Order: sequence, then C-alpha cells, then structure tokens
Amino acid sequence: MSWDKSIKESVKWYDNMEVEKYEYTVGPAGEEFFKGLKQGKIIGCKCSKCGKIYIPARAYCENCFAKIDNYVEIKKEEAYVDSYTIIYKDDEGRQLDKPIYIAMIRFPNTVGGLLCYAEGNVRVGGKAKITSFDWPLRVIVE
Amino acid sequence: MKVNLYLNKRVAIIGAGLTLFRRRLLETPQEIAWEAASKALEEAGLELKDIDCVVIGSAPDAFDGVHLKGEYLSHGSGGIRKPVSRVYVGGATGVMTAIAGWYHVASGLCQKVLAVAEEKMSPARPHPQSVFKYIWDPILEKPLNPNLIWIFAMEMHRYMSKYGIKKEEIALVSVKNKRNALNNPYAQLGANITVDDVLNSEVLVWPVQLLDVSPVSDGGAAIVLASEDVARRYTDTPVWVEGVGWTLDNTEWPARDLSYARYVEFAARMAYKIAGIERPNKEIDVVEPYDPFDYKELHHLEALQLAKRGEAPTLLKEGVFDIDGDIPSSPSGGLLGVGNPIAAAGLMKVISIYWQLKGTAGKMQVKRPVHTGLAQAWGDLMQAGTVIVLRN
Ligand SMILES: [Zn+2]
Repeated sequence: MSWDKSIKESVKWYDNMEVEKYEYTVGPAGEEFFKGLKQGKIIGCKCSKCGKIYIPARAYCENCFAKIDNYVEIKKEEAYVDSYTIIYKDDEGRQLDKPIYIAMIRFPNTVGGLLCYAEGNVRVGGKAKITSFDWPLRVIVE
Repeated sequence: MKVNLYLNKRVAIIGAGLTLFRRRLLETPQEIAWEAASKALEEAGLELKDIDCVVIGSAPDAFDGVHLKGEYLSHGSGGIRKPVSRVYVGGATGVMTAIAGWYHVASGLCQKVLAVAEEKMSPARPHPQSVFKYIWDPILEKPLNPNLIWIFAMEMHRYMSKYGIKKEEIALVSVKNKRNALNNPYAQLGANITVDDVLNSEVLVWPVQLLDVSPVSDGGAAIVLASEDVARRYTDTPVWVEGVGWTLDNTEWPARDLSYARYVEFAARMAYKIAGIERPNKEIDVVEPYDPFDYKELHHLEALQLAKRGEAPTLLKEGVFDIDGDIPSSPSGGLLGVGNPIAAAGLMKVISIYWQLKGTAGKMQVKRPVHTGLAQAWGDLMQAGTVIVLRN
C-alpha cells in the first residue's frame, strides 16, 4: 500500500487549537516609550550604574541588572539606517504592487534599535527622518 | 528505583526573590522575571556578573503568548551571554527549576546559578484555560471539549468515593491556606473564609467549586544556588538542598489510579533516598505540597508518605497540618491563597521552605523550630511529580 493510499484511507480528525486573542501589556517603561511617540519624541533610558542608553526605554539594564527609571529623550534627527531589507511578496506569496522597504534604524551611542517602514533613498548608513510616529514608525531616508 | 548517590558538590540556596502574585500585572514577562531575579541576587549578596549560568522555568509558551519563551525570558532572567537552559514539565516546572539549578552545581559544572520561574497568565483571551485545549489526545478526548477542571473533578471524585471523604473535609484545605496567606505579603487571595463559604461557592465542574480552586495569576520567583564553599563565603545561614526527585508517570491519564498520586510518591522516594530520610512523617518539619486545588494538597500529603492513604483529611481535621501543628503544610498560603502563576507558584513553594529554614519567613514563620522541609509540585496531565528536600 502506498503512502498516499494509506493516508487517504486512514481515519482523520480535524480541529483547531487557537486562543481567541492575546492582550499584551508593554510594561511601565514601554508606556513611557509609547507616550513619547504620541508627542513626536523617541524616549530611551539611561542606566545610572553602567551608563548605557537603551532604545526603546526599558525597566532594567540587561548588562548590570540595575533598575532603570531615568528616561531620556533621544535626538531623533541623529537616526540612521543600520540595515534594511526589501519585501516583494506578502505572506501568502502574492506579488506586491510596490516593494516594501523595512529598515532597522539606530541612534549614535545607544543600545537597541527600531524596525520601521522606510522610503526615499534607502541605504545603509543613510540619515533617517521619522515621518510618522504611529506604530510601526515610518521614515524617509535622505 | 535506582539513584546514583555520587554527587560532586553539596548545594545550598543562598538567596530568593518573589514578585507580588496578582491577577494582572502591568509589567511584561521579562520585567516580572527581572524583578524576582534581581531580588534573589540582592538577598544572596551577588551581582549578575558573579552568576555562572541561568536556569529558567516556565509552563506553556501559550500563557504569555510568546513562543520560545525560555529564550524570551532569558533577557530578564540574567541569561544574556551566559549558558541558559529552560525546563518545562507543566505544573511541576517550578520545583523542577530548582532541581535543574541544583544539578548544575551538584555536578560540579557551575558554582553559582540563578534559577528563575515566571508565568504571565493574563494575556490570553477569553481565559488562559483555552491554552489547555492543546494538551488532550486529539481524537480520544478532544471531541468532548474537556478542560483541565474536568479531569481534576474526575480525580477528586474518585479520591472522595474511594475513602469516603466528604467535601466539607476537603474544603478545610482552602480555609487553612487562604488563612495562612493573610500572613504572606506577596499573596493575592489571603482571607478568612469558612467551610460553608467553600460549599456555597459556584459549582464549576461538579464536585469542583470556585473556592476549591487557586486563582489565575501573574508572577515571578527566583533563587540563587551555590556550591558549599561559595555558600559559606556569602552567608552564615545556607539552606542545603539535601534531596531531589522527579518522575514522569504514564502520560495517558485514563491509565492511572485517580485516587493516588503515584508520580509524586516515586519522586518523593527518590528525594528521601538521597536525603537519607527513612520516616518522612517523623523527619519532615514543614511541607509545601502543591495545591492548585484543595483536594490536591491532601492527595500529595499522602503520596509524600506524610499521611496514610485516605487519612490526610483526618490529620488535617486534627490540626496536624496547621501553622502550629506537627507538620505545618502550606504555611505560605499555597497556590490557593498566594496565587497560581504556574511555574512561579512551584518555585514560590521552594522559597517558602527556604525562608522557613532560614528563619526569615516573618509572619509566615511556623511556631515550632524547623530543620527539614519539603516542597513539591505536580503537573502535565497529572503525571509529573517533582520534590525537593531542604535542611538548615
Ligand atoms: Zn547598566
């Protein structure tokens, strides 16, 4: 008996196993970050023990494990493209009318980065100007 | 059962930390893990850089809603750029987290281990119970659309009918544990309730009623384990891990005796053998048996050989398991009183015993002097048992 045949003749049972949905919280530091976006600001935080500046803001330092509650505004005009990719198909495999550029932007002397939609002259090292602070962010690269 | 008794290093717990156990915490799972882990380091007097490796315990990824949850939690658990492993044996995970931390040290591989357990039960909608849709035999059981309370109802009923135990007798566990939780600053549901309150509470799945069940919670727990030489440098009051045991029984739950927790007995016998305990009911001074349901504490006390089969309810009525009794049971308030963030709840039980033996349990401290204590957890489809014996 072939594999196909045995599969066709076997007893099968169909079901699904999904939770309806999840409600995630962003935590206290995440709330500072998202509040900042509403005002057009990028909020990070600075570890008072080791001095590292994290983006986005977080509640603790992964490096020295200290609690962080020192939120700092990051100079958004210093954002640059660390890397980017171009998406040609949607997740069903259909060709997109226009390719989508996704960039990882970073800020000098900080730890972390932000993924955003990018347009303009997208290139590694290019200066990125944030054009929309709705999440996910959008940038235009000079 | 054969146990290789050759152990390279004696292991102590030298620090512990807990978050509040609450129905919904604002903090992310990583932040919950961090709070518990940083408190444990602080109590141990260590910094993250002193830690050799990290063990993480967490139950299904689907609770927090993040797959590869061990990796995700390593960020808040101090695991970045360190050897990290995650253990997961359902509800038995919390005590297994301590055991896994122990064998990293006992083997001689590491000297200082941070073991962290976290669970955030609140993100799943409409209820985390739906996460358990995943765990049944897809054909033999799933078409009945069972939930976990069903099988515990089945187990509770079998236990009651085999030994002629009444619901009033079982309800006393809930009364005791919620009362004990009033003394626990981390607890979610400490209360003075009566047997009648339990018997009059909403019937969920007969014979299980609302106050027979532990609440859904978010929370984190962490301990620091160290080898003997390190432990003696950092504390005058190390609490030694004297025995550990873990067992997985047949995973087909219809294939087991529902009235007796054999998986816990086997785990306990392994731990007693390593610890050199021959008469547990005379040698264990304080115990934290796993109590997601009230009858489960009785079930586990019997499997731990602290009561004869079917006799735990009688000893409970006589006050043996009260905070001032011969063998205080769940002095923390247990899952019924403190809350049940699955993996964190099991490790909370280990921490409760650790603080009792250290003498720092505050208002939870049992009245009699204590030297040997035991924490136990249980999980999966009623087949995983984990046991740890501590001594001061
Ligand atoms: Zn730092």
